[in-house]
Amino acid sequence: MARMKFYCDAERCIECNACVTACKNEHEIPWGVNRRRVVTIKDGEQGERSLSVACMHCSDAPCAVVCPVDCFYTTEDGVVLHDKDICIGCGYCFYACPFGAPQFPENAAFSSRGKMDKCTFCAGGPEEDHSSDENKKYGRNRLSEGKLPLCAEMCSTKALLAGDANVLSDIYRKRVINRGASAMDWGVNFNKAKLGS
Amino acid sequence: MVEHSTVYPVHIFKTLSVLLLLVFLATLQQVYAEEKSEPQGVMIKDPGSDLWRQVRQRNVAISGVSQVKSVDANVLINPEADRWTRFRVGVLVKYASIILAGVALLLLVFYVIKGKMKVEHGLSGKMVHRFSDYERILHWTLAIIFLFLAITGLILLLGRTLLIPLFGHEFFSLLASSSKEGHNLFGPIFFASLVMMLIQFVKRNIYEKGDLTWLLKGGGIIGSSHVSGGFFNMGEKSWYWLVIIFGLVISISGFVLVTPSLGQGRIIMELSHVVHVIAAVVLIAVSFGHMYMGSIGTEGTPEGMRTGYVDISWAESHHDRWAKECHDKDLVISAEEYQRIMGGTVQANRSSDLAEENK
Repeated sequence: MARMKFYCDAERCIECNACVTACKNEHEIPWGVNRRRVVTIKDGEQGERSLSVACMHCSDAPCAVVCPVDCFYTTEDGVVLHDKDICIGCGYCFYACPFGAPQFPENAAFSSRGKMDKCTFCAGGPEEDHSSDENKKYGRNRLSEGKLPLCAEMCSTKALLAGDANVLSDIYRKRVINRGASAMDWGVNFNKAKLGS
Repeated sequence: MVEHSTVYPVHIFKTLSVLLLLVFLATLQQVYAEEKSEPQGVMIKDPGSDLWRQVRQRNVAISGVSQVKSVDANVLINPEADRWTRFRVGVLVKYASIILAGVALLLLVFYVIKGKMKVEHGLSGKMVHRFSDYERILHWTLAIIFLFLAITGLILLLGRTLLIPLFGHEFFSLLASSSKEGHNLFGPIFFASLVMMLIQFVKRNIYEKGDLTWLLKGGGIIGSSHVSGGFFNMGEKSWYWLVIIFGLVISISGFVLVTPSLGQGRIIMELSHVVHVIAAVVLIAVSFGHMYMGSIGTEGTPEGMRTGYVDISWAESHHDRWAKECHDKDLVISAEEYQRIMGGTVQANRSSDLAEENK
């Protein structure tokens, strides 16, 4: 079985936020909930890099460990999903997740937390595949159609990769090797480097 | 030869010292050159190191920005998340269970060994008014809310370990969901009753002169010596202040946890959770002691919070200074009078009002 992973290449991400928009549109996510976001480090400075981040589908997911009602499960593909019928909206997964993946829609009364929502790797939820119930709670189920997550599929610079971990690491390894000789690599002192000498 | 042999080493030293000086100067020059002159060719750092140091927030200030404007959206990795998780599932569940079960077991052992603490010369039947209706209603309101919050809180804390294997996921989810909602709903009411408790009882709970003696004598639990006390003794006062202070800490930290829309970050919430649960577990553990003392632990105590009246012998053995005051003010009523008052609620109220006025 495949082991599904996201990988975001910081050398390629141009912070276009298309992955964020695509995700929101594909799953019709409510206002205030962001399954994916792009974070830029050192914005406007030398060494600026952007990374697109969502649920990392951890092998030993802290959200699943800490959940008081034990609503998380890992699929055969290594995708971490949760059951919204079981979730009580306590927010513990939000405290436990280092990446800030779990999101909570605001409930009407006192704007308390509703049921948690997060990236599903476009794999739906525990309901029957392509059922309207699944669609309403978790959004589209692309994985069962043989398609990869939309955020990665439409990434214009192919910075965001999604798929089997082995395939992703092969792609990334090739990139790193080719990049080794590149003058675009950072750490290069362009002002003072005497290229060719 | 002798002359030559004495000169020869001096010559060597001279040469050596000149050489050393030259080497030293050369090194200096090299160091200086490395510092000041242009680098030879291209200098390549590990391309990832700076970035990942930023991402992991290791020894650098957070500099992330994001178009997503929710709280902490600009933080890629929260370094405290893992520590909190390990505390919650590793330390907390384990030690909370041990502490609570341990205290309950200790009290059981204590009861089996010592039994009910009797009043020294038996109950006299003569009663004295101790708590007004308002005070008793306040006490029981706070007590019931406290128990409700403790039970719902413990369901959320220990339910996954203890209850899911018994009831299954779906039923437990229902139970946990209602526990969470109930916990959040009654939290503010607990705070309100706590403030009323603070106002109503604060005067009588300020520590005074004889209290240290009470503590040194172990409150009469150890040994059988008579321990002096006022309206509230040292132990009751300490319980009161524990309830007030820990109750306030729990209320404030609970407020931080229950209002995510105020915009506090995850780290503040994680800290609040730790404070909230530690204070709660301590309070629940000590409340076991209070419940024990107030029910089966001591003879004559439950009546005070049930009817508002206590036996004068009970008062003499636990609160001698207050009992003396009651005698002086002639507040002690006979057994017949007490029976008459308890016979009808209206009369009881009238009588307790009288007693209140007399105080």
